[in-house]
Amino acid sequence: MADEPHDQAEELLPWYATGQLDAADRALVEKHLASCARCQRQLTAERALIHEFQSLTPEIETGWAQLRGRIVARPRSRPRLGTALAEFWELLKRPAVATLATAQVAFVAIGATILQWSSQPTYVALGSAPVAGSANVIVMFRPEAREADLRGALATSGAALVGGPTEADAYLLHVPVNARPAALEKLRKDSNVTLAQPIDGPAE
Amino acid sequence: MNLLGAARRPQADARRSSGLEERELLERVRERDLRAFERLYRIYQPRLGRFLFNLVQRPQVVEEVLNDTMMVVWDTADSFRGTSKLSTWIFSIAYRKAIKARLRWPDPVEDQTFDTRVSNDPGPDEELDHQRLHEALMKAMDQLSSDHRAVVDLTYFHGMGYREIADIMNCPVDTVKTRMFHARRRLKAAMPGSLFDWL
Repeated sequence: MADEPHDQAEELLPWYATGQLDAADRALVEKHLASCARCQRQLTAERALIHEFQSLTPEIETGWAQLRGRIVARPRSRPRLGTALAEFWELLKRPAVATLATAQVAFVAIGATILQWSSQPTYVALGSAPVAGSANVIVMFRPEAREADLRGALATSGAALVGGPTEADAYLLHVPVNARPAALEKLRKDSNVTLAQPIDGPAE
Repeated sequence: MNLLGAARRPQADARRSSGLEERELLERVRERDLRAFERLYRIYQPRLGRFLFNLVQRPQVVEEVLNDTMMVVWDTADSFRGTSKLSTWIFSIAYRKAIKARLRWPDPVEDQTFDTRVSNDPGPDEELDHQRLHEALMKAMDQLSSDHRAVVDLTYFHGMGYREIADIMNCPVDTVKTRMFHARRRLKAAMPGSLFDWL
């Protein structure tokens, strides 16, 4: 650390110029500045340099889409079986769901999927080699979307629920490979769907 | 990424944000609100991108480290206790990530003759337009070590005090002051024109 008043003040000038010194440091610099023409010139140049730096900003390609993809594709911490069953029961008790009694078979299918998912020993990484029936589409729904909306989107697109919700409330679906472009198009047109992306290869 | 690209003002998101707004966003991030996280990302992306470019100088590594940093923010938002500024916490994560990345991508060799060499660029009598000055400034920055560049940029661009910089870089405050002092001398040696006649 500088020992002489001039050296100390000179060292602190950049932060004096940006207004980032505490009262004691500021007093030290100002006392010295009053009698040092050299430091006064340096301060002028510091301010010019700050102006130059602040007019420069790197042009960065947005990486948000990639980061969002990493988040939505991650599985949520898996609840215990009892918790999953309780959540499923709560889902069944919702009035909006209750009105869909005619679709009981579909609920049973979803319940079976949840049970199957909760009992799987490990999560299949998205980069894993796709196998028949594995997830090849990821979707997110509007927070306001109801269970019926979710089922409707699946039925319209011909997709099957494979997993989810992930940590970001995304769902993993499977559609036959040759039908995936059409399924993605239908999902993206669905007003309740906020995201529909293939997850094991480039977008068709 | 192009540091020598067209000079323009920092992105509005970065300039309009306040510490209070950022804290509120972090609260929502804790509740796993992806939209709040996107907003926080867009506030910090230009600032972190610039900071990281000074440390690793490779665009593809910058993006990787930047996203890894924000992933840590997403994952560990609960661990931020508010004992420092949110920006200090996020920048310190980015710095640690950059240090690890640098192990894979070492710094370019520093030019040790820099302090004494004579610039062949136009002298003080020749007026430099802004674009040329910007380019000269960035060229001069390129000659500094990554830690010197980081201190200069955190001071001049990000407006951080030396104590905050020391927290981010996990080093003594005197080290920050010394790095800044030597960086300024090296910038002076590298810069043409009247701006650096003062040292």
